[in-house]
Amino acid sequence: MVTASEIKARLERNWIKFLNDNSAKLSTTTLSGATPPSVFVGRYGYPKVKVGPMIPPLHGDTKILDTPEMWLGKSLEEIVNYRLALVRGISKVDVRDVSGRYVESLQEVAMTNKSVESEATLEKIPISDFEQERDSRFDTDSAPFGPAAPLKNFRTSSSSISVDQRIEDAYYDKDLSASQAIVDLYLDGVHVSTLHRVLSIGMLGLKKNRRLVPTRWSISATDDIISAYLIRRIDNFSTIDRFKIYKYSHLGNYYSIILIPDEIWSFEMQEAWYDENNGNMQIGVDYENANGLDHYPSIAGAYFAARLGVAEHLLKIKHKAAALILREIHPEYVMPVGVWQVREGLRRALEGLAKQVESFDEALNFATISLSLSKNEWLRNSQMYKSKKEQLRITDFLMSSTRRA
Amino acid sequence: MVFRARTRSTEEWKAVTSAISTLVDEATFEANIEGISFRGMDPSHVALIDIHWPNTTFESFECDSAVKFGVRIDELLKVIRRGEKKDSVEMSLAEDSTLLVKMHNGYRREYKMRLIESSASATPLPKLSFNTKAVLVAGSFDRILSDVNIVSEYLSIKSEASAIHFSGKGDSGEAEIVLDPKSEGLEELNVKEQSTATYSIDYLSKVTKAISTAGGSIAAEFSSKMPIRLEFRVMNLGRIHFYLAPRVQD
Repeated sequence: MVTASEIKARLERNWIKFLNDNSAKLSTTTLSGATPPSVFVGRYGYPKVKVGPMIPPLHGDTKILDTPEMWLGKSLEEIVNYRLALVRGISKVDVRDVSGRYVESLQEVAMTNKSVESEATLEKIPISDFEQERDSRFDTDSAPFGPAAPLKNFRTSSSSISVDQRIEDAYYDKDLSASQAIVDLYLDGVHVSTLHRVLSIGMLGLKKNRRLVPTRWSISATDDIISAYLIRRIDNFSTIDRFKIYKYSHLGNYYSIILIPDEIWSFEMQEAWYDENNGNMQIGVDYENANGLDHYPSIAGAYFAARLGVAEHLLKIKHKAAALILREIHPEYVMPVGVWQVREGLRRALEGLAKQVESFDEALNFATISLSLSKNEWLRNSQMYKSKKEQLRITDFLMSSTRRA
Repeated sequence: MVFRARTRSTEEWKAVTSAISTLVDEATFEANIEGISFRGMDPSHVALIDIHWPNTTFESFECDSAVKFGVRIDELLKVIRRGEKKDSVEMSLAEDSTLLVKMHNGYRREYKMRLIESSASATPLPKLSFNTKAVLVAGSFDRILSDVNIVSEYLSIKSEASAIHFSGKGDSGEAEIVLDPKSEGLEELNVKEQSTATYSIDYLSKVTKAISTAGGSIAAEFSSKMPIRLEFRVMNLGRIHFYLAPRVQD
């Protein structure tokens, strides 16, 4: 039987084929354009990884090409075109070497809040380079990438550099831990996608700990750090008083989110991937109780992206709750575009109106009515449900009359 | 404000801090004229530790008013573990919100640890009456948990007048250990009413391993489908109670 991960991997192979067939065909080895700003850190060959700027053959404001926060509502085709436009110039760097001139020039780019006019000379005409995809069959966390070629020379126009003061301050604070810097910048309103970038290019953390972080890892790490912080913050609030269900769908992804009244944090995400071979759905599940996650999630970065969306919402409404996320991936999602779509999808879902009900059963009925899988199938896979049903709490025995249902 | 408590070895603090570290990252101790206490639940509220360490069990104890102090428990544990078994330990609070830990026996170690804000709200104890009480040698209880753990994450306990059954069932098979008053490892069995209940082995095992390196015995008390309470009788440590909520299966 195929697993959810294998279906994901198959989708990714579609994507690679598509890129091979459709990548922008540049005919020269010189490239002039405005980087959104965008930098890339590969993970193949770690700790010697391919690092470089991403530059489109376009001038002016190209921000949208690398800002997933701006992509909600765009079609799959539009998003893919944004990515295909970005050409990667790559050069091998040791991840510990964060103070060399080359990496510093990339850090300067990552520190800006406007697109940066730049010029690159490449060693050969760029072609599709899918090392990332090749060595990561079960991981589709980052947004897809366009063509690449080894970089000979990279220059930016210093007049177009406009530094984001908040990031510059964190960069020069070499006694500030990376986690604290990420949380501070997040609270200061810096986009999560910007944080992914500055973490990945080695700009945050204690001086001795700074290193380049492969783009994919930096995305999960950032989402994990911010959401863990938010979860600690919401612990002081009172719990929501009724079950709330939110829904959203985009790009062939269908979300149902159930917020559960509970004094104690717990979180589960289930993903059901459509298997085109037999029309079945294959489910991946990860769950954490208040003691935290005790494994790296099988559904990878999607887990942390979703947890961030939920924790952010709870802080905003100043309440606590447990959360169950159901995600169904339908055949229209022909290629994975990155976990930003989970994060942004959940953010949008939670801005919407909630259906409010009194019991978990009603909540699950409403949540699953718009999905292909039946309520019982979701329930059968739920570790959260099993755990809530089977493990009592000390607090259930404080007074004899208040047993939990 | 004066607080100064001295023990003859590091073992007591090691048992106390490692037991607490199985449940929480941050712990708030309370000291007053009667001794030192701690009470807290794990974040999931499945387990609770209740410790009272009376002044009489210390080599010397001084505390002129009630005081709370919060520590990161793994940091305190690291410090205590630097000490040798036979080192005496003196804990005291300094004016600048630090905890002084002095360990010596020929070689002298002194640590100054930054305290954290104590956030803990009062944790009430569950109201329970127990129908079964079994006193086991600590090592023997630990062995039962390990025996059952290879087939199951959960331990079912069934008591009858003359024996106590520990069992577990999993995909790979089943395990059962039966102890009667003649069995090695069972020191006492007192059954008011037959009781059956199931608990998570992970919680039981962590706390038992943390404390039973110090030897001693464990009094386990429970009733059907109610929390179990383990009383660790080690050294000269006053009260260490560990409560664990049951699992309910169909």
